[in-house]
Amino acid sequence: MKLSSFRKKSPWILHYNAGGCNGCDIEILACLAPKYDIERFGMINTGNPKQSDILLVTGPVTKRSRERLVEIYAQMPEPKVVVSCGACASTGGVFRGMYNCEGGIDQYIPVDVYVCGCGARPEQIIDGVIEALAILEKKTKELEQSVRLKRDPVIESTQLNRRNIAGEIVKTV
Amino acid sequence: MKDVLIPVLLILFAPVIGGLAYGFERIVRARMQRRIGPPLLQPFYDFLKLADKRKMIVHSTHAFLGIMHFVSLWFALAVLLLGGDLILVIFLHLLSTSLLILAGFSTRSIFSHLGSNRTAISILAYEPVLILIAVSVFMLTGSFEVSSIFKYNEPLLYKMPLAFIALLLILPIKLKKSPFDVAEAHQEITGGVELEFSGIFYEAIYTAKWLDYVFCYTLVYLFAGNNIMLGAALIVFVFLYLNALDNSSARVNYKQMLRFSMMVALPVAFINLLLIILHLSL
Repeated sequence: MKLSSFRKKSPWILHYNAGGCNGCDIEILACLAPKYDIERFGMINTGNPKQSDILLVTGPVTKRSRERLVEIYAQMPEPKVVVSCGACASTGGVFRGMYNCEGGIDQYIPVDVYVCGCGARPEQIIDGVIEALAILEKKTKELEQSVRLKRDPVIESTQLNRRNIAGEIVKTV
Repeated sequence: MKDVLIPVLLILFAPVIGGLAYGFERIVRARMQRRIGPPLLQPFYDFLKLADKRKMIVHSTHAFLGIMHFVSLWFALAVLLLGGDLILVIFLHLLSTSLLILAGFSTRSIFSHLGSNRTAISILAYEPVLILIAVSVFMLTGSFEVSSIFKYNEPLLYKMPLAFIALLLILPIKLKKSPFDVAEAHQEITGGVELEFSGIFYEAIYTAKWLDYVFCYTLVYLFAGNNIMLGAALIVFVFLYLNALDNSSARVNYKQMLRFSMMVALPVAFINLLLIILHLSL
């Protein structure tokens, strides 16, 4: 039995509100409550990015929260999946185009599953997370490791060469 | 030979027993909240999943101290189960916890520091009571050895019920259960000292929690002495008591916890010691 088959049996969820209205957060907490009880699938809502597998983001990315979002995503060890929960997290929703809002979270981090709805119902959230588990099982560590791009730097004719503009380097020794 | 075989088997399978106890506890806790709860083997699924995660360490000393916490706790449990010195067992347990505190202070995370502070305070809350209980055992049986408890002709519970009550009062602090879970406080400081561990190094901390269950329930079992039925009854009672308390109470802050321990649990243990001395001198 491979170790990766145990990933779907104990997914630990990290929940982050990137600046929404708290509607989806209430629905996520409803999943933990006795009626839907996602702990029966072994899911725990950890508050700790270093020990969690699924990043569940609600709300659109605001200018204040984007750095935190990327930071939290970077702190999660691989393998990890991202579920954007609700219309705002997927596209920006009703906040799209506002001066403080940057739209969906997929502009900053890769998203695996989009859950629609405003706010997303608990059944939909559970469905989305189960969908994410299938993706999580297939992911390998190599897939998510950072790679160095083998591409030469773009040099355009319109680009200024700063060396040409600046004066001569004069050695003063 | 037969006397050694059972403790050695218990020591070897202590993480497995503790894991099963933890899984069963999660089910019981869920049923108390009218939920279904995770499967019994859920802690082992978590264990195997964490083994596959990428290892991210803060620095090597931090990871090493986390693993040493697990190893020294297992060693303390081994000394306890093999019938060693009770004072030695308590101090070995203190050593393992202090390694965890050092690990917490070695990072720059503020939550980790807070968790270390609070773990140190919870040691201050439960350690004197444990030592007073050990001294009571010494006064009664004439030896600090755990094996002398089993040679004593009567269960300790009948001789010193107040010590058992004192142990019941400090067990929630030791096992980090509500209302005395300030050291862990998942909603407040997201786990405290265990915050910065990840992957296979978090596994050591997670498994050490299971070993702590075995350790505490062995301490409870000591009160029954040779009476196995009484021991089983005590363990079931303490299990239900801890879970009912965990589910029905809210967290107190560390000052209230320390005050409760110093004002209630410590005097109860002390009165128990005085009564035993009085009883012996009559």
